Amino acid sequence: MENLLEIRNLKVDFYLKDQVVNAVNGVNLDIGNNEVLLLAGESGSGKTISALAITRILPSTARIVSGSIFFEGRDLLALDEAALRMVRGARIAYIFQEPTSYLNPVYSIGSQIIETIMLHQNKNKLQARQEALELLELVKIKDPQRVLFDYPHQLSGGMNQRVFIAMSLACVPKLLIADEPTTSLDVTIEAQILELLLDLKKRFGFSLLFITHNLSIAKKIADRISVMYKGKIVEEAATAKIFDSPEHFHTRELIRAYEKIGKL
Amino acid sequence: MRNKLLFTGLIIILFFSIIAILAPLISPYNPSEIDADSLLVPPSPRHLLGTDSLGRDILSRMIYGARISLSIGFIAVGIALAIGLVLGALAGFYGGLIDALIMRFVDIMLCFPTFFLILAVVAILEPSIFNIMVIIGLTSWMGTARLVRAEILSLKEREFIQAEIAIGASDFRIITRHLIPNALGPVLVSAILGIAGAILLESGLSFLGLGVQPPTASWGNILIEAKSTLGVAWWITIFPGLAILITILGFNLIAEGLKEKLG
Repeated sequence: MENLLEIRNLKVDFYLKDQVVNAVNGVNLDIGNNEVLLLAGESGSGKTISALAITRILPSTARIVSGSIFFEGRDLLALDEAALRMVRGARIAYIFQEPTSYLNPVYSIGSQIIETIMLHQNKNKLQARQEALELLELVKIKDPQRVLFDYPHQLSGGMNQRVFIAMSLACVPKLLIADEPTTSLDVTIEAQILELLLDLKKRFGFSLLFITHNLSIAKKIADRISVMYKGKIVEEAATAKIFDSPEHFHTRELIRAYEKIGKL
Repeated sequence: MRNKLLFTGLIIILFFSIIAILAPLISPYNPSEIDADSLLVPPSPRHLLGTDSLGRDILSRMIYGARISLSIGFIAVGIALAIGLVLGALAGFYGGLIDALIMRFVDIMLCFPTFFLILAVVAILEPSIFNIMVIIGLTSWMGTARLVRAEILSLKEREFIQAEIAIGASDFRIITRHLIPNALGPVLVSAILGIAGAILLESGLSFLGLGVQPPTASWGNILIEAKSTLGVAWWITIFPGLAILITILGFNLIAEGLKEKLG
């Protein structure tokens, strides 16, 4: 199998009180080793839900109805909860949109990174602390010794996103899923975070599934782009081709939106 | 200290706790020693808070009574907290059938008039200090369980819990390390109010003669002996009554102060 991740015909429904809402309707998605795939689409198009479905961390009202998700040659949908926990964090890691709310407010930065390390690796606390320190240096946090003892509310959004990236990379995952990781950050920080992600990708050699509605990011980082619309992948091609000859009207809409902002 | 309520409450409880811990050192007399020569002596330099109808020193009995009353309060609430945390967390986290079963059990327990349930149980078992602690604990966990469940219901939808699932943490780990610590604030407030409630409950039981048995002194059972001599010896009623009142006030002040501090 050449692809790291192969999603076939994924369908996810939401079971609400008196109705069933289809969120993802037959998504196919391939990510190769070391590849950056950008999943674009408007809000509510099902991109986040598709990404969460990969390790089954969906909201409790959502059900995966059908499909298969092959990762490193194993069907993740066939794994039980315990086996899946070995994949989560260790082989597939996530970073999210609001870094500060994704960190536990009652624990220090250090203890959260250490927890992640000790969850998947056979290391004692001292080794884990040392590694946490190295990770913080790696994500270019100034004064990591001090940040180790800081709490999430004492750091800025950009800093917290760096911390979260450090946490995600603690166990050297093969696939990093970034769900709009820069949407809540300002533009200069966004550029820094994107650069950091590409840097780290070179160093660790993971594949990146990058979810966004902002196509301006695509040119900087993506090898390929998949465009999602109303629960389906409507167009998929290499980055240059998408920008040169977009086929689906939603792709054109996304590009137009981004060009409009560029002109302002 | 900005938080005056919390500070005052802590001072009061610390004061009574130190008295309870140091009881053998500071008590002027043996609390059960009967002195036929000084029956119903009013407060005087020899007996600071007077003596009861058997000539026992009220101050000494109250000092030892503080031990019993406070430890019943703390241990009963400890038991209630343990049961409430476990059941509330399970109900809140897993939801569905588990939640329904646990919460219906809570509803059933709440239907019993607690005081009479305790009376009945103590009447069947012997009313030892140990039994009283356990029974008060076993009948006062429902509020904690409901509170913990409600906290966890809202906490488990928070993003950092999703992040915790995403890094591969087990349910047990998420509940014990991430959900419960975040829910602890309001639970602590209700637990401290619970201690006050448990002390009051013990006093009530002892007053009815089904609590701590003489000659062991508790604040409640000093009062029972005061009842028959109320007309002639006011000091036997006033001082233990005040001790109970001030302690309960202390715990309430701490709870109120904590509530303010935690927002």
